[in-house]
Amino acid sequence: MTLVRVLVAAGAIALGALLGAAVDPQSLPFVGTERISAVFLLDGQAYFGHLEDTPFSGTIVLRDVYYINDASKVTTDLPVGLLKRGNELHQPVDVMYIRRDKVLAIERVTPGSPIGLAIAAQRSLDRTAK
Amino acid sequence: MGVRIPIGTVRIVLAVIAAVIVVVLIFIVGAVAHSNEPIATANPAQMKVQQTAVERDVERAYEQSAQQITKVRALNLAISAAQADQIATKAITDLRTLRHSAFQSLGQITGMAAAEAEAYSTTTETRFDQAPVSRQTASPSPVLLAPRFYAVVSRMSELATLIADQATTQLTAPPPSASPVPSVAPSPTARPSASPSPTRP
Repeated sequence: MTLVRVLVAAGAIALGALLGAAVDPQSLPFVGTERISAVFLLDGQAYFGHLEDTPFSGTIVLRDVYYINDASKVTTDLPVGLLKRGNELHQPVDVMYIRRDKVLAIERVTPGSPIGLAIAAQRSLDRTAK
Repeated sequence: MGVRIPIGTVRIVLAVIAAVIVVVLIFIVGAVAHSNEPIATANPAQMKVQQTAVERDVERAYEQSAQQITKVRALNLAISAAQADQIATKAITDLRTLRHSAFQSLGQITGMAAAEAEAYSTTTETRFDQAPVSRQTASPSPVLLAPRFYAVVSRMSELATLIADQATTQLTAPPPSASPVPSVAPSPTARPSASPSPTRP
C-alpha cells in the first residue's frame, strides 16, 4: 500500500513538472500578456497567431491568423504589408490547421515588434468598430 | 432481497466517474482560460504613430501619381494643349477626390463620426498641400501598418496608379487622324514621329 502511495505521489509530481514546464507564466489567463507565435513553414510562408500545440497531434492549430504580403507596389514605408486571414475568396474561419512536418520553426513574437504593434493596432481598430 | 455488487466493480465505476469529472473539468478550465486569454491592444500613442504613417502613405500615393501626370503633361504631346490641360486637370481633380476619400475613410476607421471625419480629411489635405511628403527632409522610422490601415493605403495606391496611368495613356495617345484610309502610294522616305514617345516613370 505504501508503495502505491509513493508511486501516485511520484506520478503527480512528474505530471506537475511536465505541465509546469509547458505553462508560460507570462501568458496565463487574467494576469499574463498576449502570446503571439510566428510559424515559419518550409515553403517560406510565415503565419502569426495564437498557437495551440497539442502533443501527439499531427497538426498544430493557429487562431487569429495574420500573414505578410508583398507591398512593393503600395506606397507604404515598408515593402511588406500585414494581412488578417479571413478575407480570402473562400473566407476561412479563424482557425488554421498546419501539418507539423511542414513547419520549419516556431518563434514567439515580441509585443513591441512591428508585427506585435500592428496586430495590437488592429485589435484596437476592431474594438472601435464594435 | 438486495442485489450484491462486488466491491471491485464499485471501485471501477467510481474511478470511471472520477476520470470523467476530471476530463470535464479540464475542458471547462481550458475553455475559461481560452476565453480569458490576454489580448494586447495598442495604446493611443501607438495608434497615433499608425495613423500618421497612413496619412503619409496616402499622401505619398497622391503625390507620386500627381507628379507622373505633371511630368507627362510637360512633354511635347501630339494632342492639343487644351485637350492635354483638360485631361491633366481632370486626373488631378480625381486624385484629390480620391485622397479626400482616403482620409475620410481613415477618420471613420479610427472612430470619428462622419462630420468629424470630413473636417479631419480637409485639415489633413491642407496640411499636406502646405508641406508635401516629397519635400520633407526628415524620414520617420518605417511603420508596419495594421491590416485595416494597410487596406486603405493599398486601395489608395491602386486607384491613384490607375488614374495616373489612364491619364498618361490619354495624354500620349496619337491625334485622331482625319481619314483612316491608307495612302495609295507609300512614301519613299520614312518620316519621324510627330511626338516623342514619353517614358513612364
